[in-house]
Amino acid sequence: MTRPVTDAAPPNTTRPGSSGSFGEVAGSDADMALDPSSIDTNRTDPEPAGPALDQPAADPAVLVGSEPAVAVPATGATRGRYQRPLFRIRGDIGPAWRLGLGVAGVAAIFVVWILMSMGDGANNAIIPTPAATIRALGDLWSDGTLQADLAASMQRIAIGYAISVAVGIVVGIGIGTFASVESFLEPQFGFLRYVPATALTPLFLLWFGIGESPKIWLIVVGTVFFNILMVADVARAVPRELLNASYTLGAGRGTILRRVVLPHSVPGIIDVARINLAAAWSMLVVAELLAAKSGLAFEIVRAQRFRAVDVMFALLIVFGVIGIVSDVFLRWIRNVISPWARP
Amino acid sequence: MRSLELTPTGSPLEATSAGAEARKLEVAGVSKVFRSRRNETVALDGVDLHVDDGELVCLLGSSGCGKSTLLSIVGGLETATGGAVFIDGDRVVGPGADRGMVFQGYSLFPWLSVARNIQFGLEVVNWPKARRAERVRELLAIMGLGEFADALPKELSGGMRQRVAIARALAPEPDILLLDEPFGALDAVTKRVMQDFLLSVWKRTGTTILMVTHDVEEALYLSSRIYLMAARPGRIAEEIVVPFDGSRGPTIMRDPRFLDLRAELSDLLVG
Repeated sequence: MTRPVTDAAPPNTTRPGSSGSFGEVAGSDADMALDPSSIDTNRTDPEPAGPALDQPAADPAVLVGSEPAVAVPATGATRGRYQRPLFRIRGDIGPAWRLGLGVAGVAAIFVVWILMSMGDGANNAIIPTPAATIRALGDLWSDGTLQADLAASMQRIAIGYAISVAVGIVVGIGIGTFASVESFLEPQFGFLRYVPATALTPLFLLWFGIGESPKIWLIVVGTVFFNILMVADVARAVPRELLNASYTLGAGRGTILRRVVLPHSVPGIIDVARINLAAAWSMLVVAELLAAKSGLAFEIVRAQRFRAVDVMFALLIVFGVIGIVSDVFLRWIRNVISPWARP
Repeated sequence: MRSLELTPTGSPLEATSAGAEARKLEVAGVSKVFRSRRNETVALDGVDLHVDDGELVCLLGSSGCGKSTLLSIVGGLETATGGAVFIDGDRVVGPGADRGMVFQGYSLFPWLSVARNIQFGLEVVNWPKARRAERVRELLAIMGLGEFADALPKELSGGMRQRVAIARALAPEPDILLLDEPFGALDAVTKRVMQDFLLSVWKRTGTTILMVTHDVEEALYLSSRIYLMAARPGRIAEEIVVPFDGSRGPTIMRDPRFLDLRAELSDLLVG
């Protein structure tokens, strides 16, 4: 028995790691002899490793216990599918790559922009150079137009979107909490959500004239149904066990709404408001394009009349910056108000 | 079926008052039928059981036997299709602070600190402000959570979270504590620690406890009586009196009677 075991069982079959991978307990002769895969691997080895031959006892149990840490003879073959660090699904790439790729992405945009704006004057009338755009932005600022337009647009957003979010919270929590409210309201809202709010613009102009109110109404109508239905989902996500625990602690309906449903929904509500804010800006632009005497989008229309593409580009950048700033701000607010929900 | 049996030896008045005092919880002929469009499922069929004052009783059964539904009915979270539940003779019609409940999952308020979680029930039922803080301190000490008073639930381990949940349920001094597989999500070691912990809390506070479990060993280890439930329809199949009353502790697990009972109950559970 001494010879065959040392021959057929080089270190890799007796190492706890390799035998463990078969889900068996190493250490019986039968295991060794009956394990075909281990024998197969052995065939490719030119020679059993020295130390194994030196073992005085051929009993595999002893081999397992006293075997020194010897490298398995390399076969040159590999096992498993190598995963490229940069393209692993859901893989982490580390902060350096994150930052570097982010910067590269932005740089790529600028490169494309510069290339497209290069060439003769005719081209410049279609796509302005970055420098011209920045100059236009500076001019808009220094003559005060930008400030006035920002104030006008932001006021509309502030009023219209505040109404929309307020209605969204109240009605959304109602729908998400009470099946009765849900049954009564959800069909209408499900329908109204698919009526493009922009299609209501002519109607609103007819009803409310061309002052501030049609613009504010358009922002409200264009976002409120999204806010309601998404807040309803947030309220539905309050775990039933939390509600049951509250009931068994003696809380009534009002207490649970105020002290359980609302606090649990706060981070979700802020996220909903953050996501739908983009829709509010789209509504504002539609309103200002059609009938306005001030505002960022109105300024774009005016620039179009003078073929001032640099001004138009500058204003588009302003929109983008406002978006990023409000997004970051609302994320920050969410984490400050609800640190418990921070990922 | 409220049993107020009169013993022939005692006077009727004495016997009645003694019986009423001892019975903390009485479940009388409770049935629950779930109706869907296609079929009717009888989840519970005429369940009778009782828990005496200061007792720790387990409802043991495999999944789907209706034991959690029964506990929800006792807690007032679900209504029985038939029968009634009484606490100290009062009929249960809904949830209330007199029946503290602990669930298997993470039912702590994630935005409240440990201390505020425990205090929640006291605030809801308007305990006097001064006594609230005192009660919370007392429970934090019993639960060994003193240094975690200001921690958020997400900063705690599973076992610690369940300790907070038990403390929160105990805070308003309920008549009975209802535990719905409270240690089901814990690893084996934490589970044992928590079982010993529950026993010590039970001994210290003298609270009446009804606990749902599917773990035979847990039921034998913790309770003085076990109601074994059978499924389809959910019903009480057997009532077992566990013999080691005074000497409850780790040693009983090696008692031959414990091992016999464990084997017997496991067989019954498999059916």
